[in-house]
Amino acid sequence: MSTATVQEHVETSASGKAGIEMMTITVRIRRYNPEVDAAPHWVDYQVTADPTARILDSLHKIKWEQDGSLTFRRSCAHGVCGSDAMRINGKNRLACKALVKDLNPTKPITVEPIQGLPVLKDLVVDMEPFFQAYRDVKPFLIAHGNEPTRERIQSQKDRDRFDDTTKCILCAACTTSCPVFWADGQYFGPAAIVNAHRFIFDSRDDGANERLEILNDREGVWRCRTTFNCTEACPRGIQITQAIAEVKRALITRRVI
Amino acid sequence: MTDNTENTENAVGTKSTEPVERHSYDVVVIGAGGAGLRAAIEARHAGKRVAVISKSLFGKAHTVMAEGGAAAAMGNVNPKDNWQVHFRDTMRGGKFLNHFRMAELHAKEAPDRIWELETWGALFDRTKEGKISQRNFGGHEYPRLAHVGDRTGLELIRTLQQRVVALQQEDKASTGDYEANLRVFAETTIVRLLKDASGRIAGAVGYYRETGQFVVFEAPAVIMATGGIGRSYTVTSNSWEYTGDGHALALLAGAALVNMEFVQFHPTGMVWPPSVKGILVTESVRGDGGVLRNSEGKRFMFDYVPDVFRKQYAETEEEADRWYDDQENNRRPPELLPRDEVARSINSEVKAGRGTPNGGVFLDVSTRLPAEEIRRRLPSMYHQFKELADVDITAQPMEVGPTCHYVMGGIEVDPDTQGTVVPGLYAAGECSGGMHGSNRLGGNSLSDLLVFGRRAGLHAAEYIDGLGTAGKPAVAAADVDAALEEALAPLANADGENPYTLHHELQVTMNTLVGIIRKPEEVSEALTKLEEFKPRRTKVGAAGGRRFNPGWHVALDLRNMLIVSECVAKAALEREESRGGHTRDDHPAMSSKWRQINLICSLNEDGSGIDLKHQPIPTIRPDLLGLFEVSELQKYFTDEELTVLGDSAEPVAEAKPAGEAKPAAEPEVKSEPATESKAEAKSEPEAKPEAKTEPAPIPGQSNGEKAADTAADKVAEKSTEKSATAEAEEQTAQAEAEAQTEDAETAAEEK
Ligand SMILES: Cc1cc2nc3c(=O)[nH]c(=O)nc-3n(C[C@H](O)[C@H](O)[C@H](O)COP(=O)(O)OP(=O)(O)OC[C@H]3O[C@@H](n4cnc5c(N)ncnc54)[C@H](O)[C@@H]3O)c2cc1C
Ligand code: SF4
Ligand code: FES
Repeated sequence: MSTATVQEHVETSASGKAGIEMMTITVRIRRYNPEVDAAPHWVDYQVTADPTARILDSLHKIKWEQDGSLTFRRSCAHGVCGSDAMRINGKNRLACKALVKDLNPTKPITVEPIQGLPVLKDLVVDMEPFFQAYRDVKPFLIAHGNEPTRERIQSQKDRDRFDDTTKCILCAACTTSCPVFWADGQYFGPAAIVNAHRFIFDSRDDGANERLEILNDREGVWRCRTTFNCTEACPRGIQITQAIAEVKRALITRRVI
Repeated sequence: MTDNTENTENAVGTKSTEPVERHSYDVVVIGAGGAGLRAAIEARHAGKRVAVISKSLFGKAHTVMAEGGAAAAMGNVNPKDNWQVHFRDTMRGGKFLNHFRMAELHAKEAPDRIWELETWGALFDRTKEGKISQRNFGGHEYPRLAHVGDRTGLELIRTLQQRVVALQQEDKASTGDYEANLRVFAETTIVRLLKDASGRIAGAVGYYRETGQFVVFEAPAVIMATGGIGRSYTVTSNSWEYTGDGHALALLAGAALVNMEFVQFHPTGMVWPPSVKGILVTESVRGDGGVLRNSEGKRFMFDYVPDVFRKQYAETEEEADRWYDDQENNRRPPELLPRDEVARSINSEVKAGRGTPNGGVFLDVSTRLPAEEIRRRLPSMYHQFKELADVDITAQPMEVGPTCHYVMGGIEVDPDTQGTVVPGLYAAGECSGGMHGSNRLGGNSLSDLLVFGRRAGLHAAEYIDGLGTAGKPAVAAADVDAALEEALAPLANADGENPYTLHHELQVTMNTLVGIIRKPEEVSEALTKLEEFKPRRTKVGAAGGRRFNPGWHVALDLRNMLIVSECVAKAALEREESRGGHTRDDHPAMSSKWRQINLICSLNEDGSGIDLKHQPIPTIRPDLLGLFEVSELQKYFTDEELTVLGDSAEPVAEAKPAGEAKPAAEPEVKSEPATESKAEAKSEPEAKPEAKTEPAPIPGQSNGEKAADTAADKVAEKSTEKSATAEAEEQTAQAEAEAQTEDAETAAEEK
């Protein structure tokens, strides 16, 4: 091909600089097809992988080359859309951000659906209960009084106050790593609280009390046992436990600062 | 999930034994990205019952990936910014192939759309005064991109999603049903549009990804908002959704695609490690000070500033560096040239052997900003490189190279209404064409989604009102049957070819043969291959049943990818010039004659392939032309095109600040899509002109720095009062006249 594109050079030198050594790994996937399987079961797949590749790449390879029916969600492939949270080696992560080399590839790498939501097929779960909890906290700006003709003024400081919780990609890694949620699917779960926090602490919002009342519910913030699983699981590095603590404090003091 | 089994009977009266769920709406929006959601919200505001359909989960559409920001001339950071400047930048970026009216509406309405988003709760970075902050981006004269760190798309989608949830809760309060007026059908793929006997849109048919069951939507108006086509290329920044469905569905339904040869390769994608090749490195890195260097450490972009841009870009590193602090007295760094220029330059450097070990160039911000500042301004990039490439961008340069990013070509629409030639069919966002000409400026897509998403929703609603009660189009059962049969074929074909194999071959074909630099013999080879792929496509198989079967889904997407690829390749072979996102190895220059031509793809008679025809480009209104220096226009236009300017192109004072320049109420004209001009356009221009003569200077024209804003303003006020239909007719007449005098003139060319 005479159109020398950047791509060709990559092809010829990929093994050059970085000295990527391909290796064979075993990916052990929890598979379930309700049309034919009575129950979920583990299946092992051998794939060649470059250690810098992500688990998502291995899943694709399996799907393309070994079993075209392997089902999982993914979209953006770099951690922005929140489609591919999975339980990988026992921890919730995004498949598109979990690198093979960080997962002890000498042993089988286990991949299973996130827990606490109904499995629809293979690694795909029904996200509806998760989204319902999100919708229940009124995740939209509630502002009374006059609409501005252009924009509301907000200082960088006020905006920074809730910056952390605006980073959420609704991947459900936190909620489905929470033992309280596993035990009681009615619990709002960390993601819903994070998204309530995003508005409660927004200086432009007037709906804090409404939302705090919702979270004061039996299934609300008070069920949180501060196990920190959620904070560890969050691929966006959101300080979830802290956000929950801030909501609890606001409920006690009835002050939003 | 969305199973609403109350009408899973075969209620449409089809012959097929398949159970088909049926729904009836006023407006069906296909796509839940920025354009689709904005359209749906507008149609719902207009009192219509709306369904939004999306291949992915709600809130996860491709738009979440946008990083840099949304361009709108609010003038918050530099008060000199206004719609005229934004319009100029957009036309320059698109090399004057943009539909001027879309570029005009976009520049005028973008600020209102951003402010509106803010009042709906969107988070933005702020200026010292607490206003929405704006950042620099390639091709934009002033800091113009409203942004949230480098996750602007996420915030845009989230805000629109929140707005939808808010409207649903309002509906719940008033009707008892959340989904009474606005319902999202997530993980649902549309496979065909449906029309009634008279050719009007009547609905769409698709399947639920979860169950594999079919669903028919009956609706008099359908809005396409399906995004782009990047998944037909190997190296791309695009998500899996980008299989060109909307382009293909519209084409199959009788709509036309315009200028499909223009595909934007973003200059900076990751090149290493291999598994992340193509993932985007946002332009904000350069906007915030990052520079490009080759393996010899040279800032090579200074060697690649084309003549047309020479005046606006710095000639020395010193001047370029001063620009970040003092934009009044210095010109911008060449790293911020429009994307097509930067992508081609990187390509040339690598080809000349000055690339990095992994075949890219270096993008360095580590020596330009303090580490703390980099982490604050570019947090996603910092993490992306740390986690995926083990590179600390505060200490090391990144390695980057071009990646397939955006398609400028798309469904041909009326610039005011977003309507297509098919009554009831609208299109907005990346799947529509015209707005960005031959090359899109960064940041102009997010604003495009909001401006034209809103317009599509509004005009679809008006179209329905115009139908009255009697005239609702009916779905034909036979069409539904045909769609189901087509969709079920791969399942019956369990031993057929692996669809992924064909998909991969298609990607390699497009990437290597119809990539950044196009050679006619290679593009022809690609077309031959595409013909070979067509019969193979009908024989691919997908084992594994109906439920969430990704192999089946790809088998169906392949039809769309093949159609779109054929359009890109055919148009790329036809256009014998280099402009924006289309570079021809054998015609490296831009041609003023080709600037007058839009290439239009439509389905051929027996439905087996694509017909391509030339169509004159709408003539830019003189008041808008008057916004440019004549010396600049001479680089793009033929002399006779410029004679209309007369003496209105006097140099005048500074541009007005944004506040005063707010447009008077826009006439909401309901002109039909460009049918008239299409009918006239069958004749091909006889000669494919490649005149090499220098442009003759136009006497009496000034070369002053500033464009003729005030003079132009007066004309603008007058001419916007005219109906767009009258305008369109005028343009057609003009275009025809020009086509006839072709041979008489010389063409200006760019080196
Ligand atoms: C990495 C990246 C960064 C970017 N950064 C910027 C930026 O900073 N600024 C900017 O202005 N632009 C940016 N862009 C471009 C911009 O993000 C896109 O052009 C824009 O988001 C497209 O939006 P859309 O509404 O047209 O479509 P999308 O957001 O892509 O939505 C398409 C929708 O259509 C649905 N769909 C598709 N086919 C079907 C079907 N057959 N049936 C049902 N549903 C279907 C999809 O599921 C999806 O919901 C960036 C692009 C990328 C890839
Ligand atoms: S808080 Fe973090 S883990 Fe939880 S849904 Fe949001 S991004 Fe995912
Ligand atoms: S695929 Fe989008 S987050 Fe992983």
